[in-house]
Amino acid sequence: MPERIDLPPALRDAIARDLHPIAPLPPPARRLAVVIPVALALLVASAAIFGLRGDAPRLGVALTWLASTLQMALGLVLTAAALRESVPGTTLPRRVLGVLIGTAVLAIVLITTLTWFASPTRIASGHVGFVWTVCVAGTVAGALPVLAIAGWLVARAFPLRPRVAGALYGIGAGLIADAGWRLFCHFSDPVHVFGAHALGIALAALIGVAVTRPSAESR
Amino acid sequence: MTAYQAGSMAAFEELYARLAPPLLAYLTSLARDRGRAQDLLQEAFLQIHRSRRAYRPGLPVRPWVFTIARHVWLMDRRARGRRPGSDAPLPDLPVPPEVAALAERDRLNRALSTIGSERREALLLHHVWGFSFAEIGQLLGIRADAAKLRSSRGMADLRRALHATSRRDHA
Repeated sequence: MPERIDLPPALRDAIARDLHPIAPLPPPARRLAVVIPVALALLVASAAIFGLRGDAPRLGVALTWLASTLQMALGLVLTAAALRESVPGTTLPRRVLGVLIGTAVLAIVLITTLTWFASPTRIASGHVGFVWTVCVAGTVAGALPVLAIAGWLVARAFPLRPRVAGALYGIGAGLIADAGWRLFCHFSDPVHVFGAHALGIALAALIGVAVTRPSAESR
Repeated sequence: MTAYQAGSMAAFEELYARLAPPLLAYLTSLARDRGRAQDLLQEAFLQIHRSRRAYRPGLPVRPWVFTIARHVWLMDRRARGRRPGSDAPLPDLPVPPEVAALAERDRLNRALSTIGSERREALLLHHVWGFSFAEIGQLLGIRADAAKLRSSRGMADLRRALHATSRRDHA
């Protein structure tokens, strides 16, 4: 006979007081669908508002739109991983997390290197600080809408590893924002891309962690 | 679980009746203190209630609730500042059916106490509570093959420990 444990009256009362119908969370793919239109808008926003980078004809479609679309897709994959991570019992193994983040880093290194070889452009001395500031701020500002939506979706679930979930969608939001921003930024110098653009992505990741951790720990 | 999400108290009571015994045994194996595990069990059910929206209908319920229970234990351990390698004696634990016939309950319990906590957890989750290795992997945040390895090494450790105690008893 399996052991029987009586429901304590205090627990019963606490549950009964708060019991009301709730709508279960949709699957991660359906929740991700909310982020996709924002990601697509961010992909074209910088080029539409500020104009396409000056060396776009030299880079061709592959190293402009195709590369940015690939980067945006990787950002969406990381955001989907965060949504999955935020549901108990479906957390991702550490190795899978490592592979996902490693793939995103490799893709950025590859895109940056190919872009540099196809069209080497450097920031003129005297403007480095200004351009870096603009690129960091542009990437972080672009990431904010994705951070807000993904953060809300993650907080509605139950992330047991809030730092992991926050970092995942933060990096995802940074990648999505930078995918659009790099279509406007005229400078392919790897020092600039791995410095300013990567810093923008890292700041987006920190915002993801900073936002998700307190909301999860307040439960 | 779906009826519980729809607001049925009877469904919650049924969920509690079905899941409280294995959850208490699991929490006891983690906390190594039956009284503490009973407190954690109540906290786990409160967390299950607060996060019931996060359960997706169609997915197995047990990995979801065990993961939340494990999280409650981890938070409690962090709050108490207790290290994982506590050497407090293990309370009475469920025993894998495969080895239940090998020795009496007390000896099995003592042998289980000698196994490393990670291997013991994987061993009990698979052999006692019937989780698949994929489910254990998701519960512990590791890959399915790593969960399988931990469980099989835990079983080998358990057999070795039983063999050693048997030799000591004969000597």
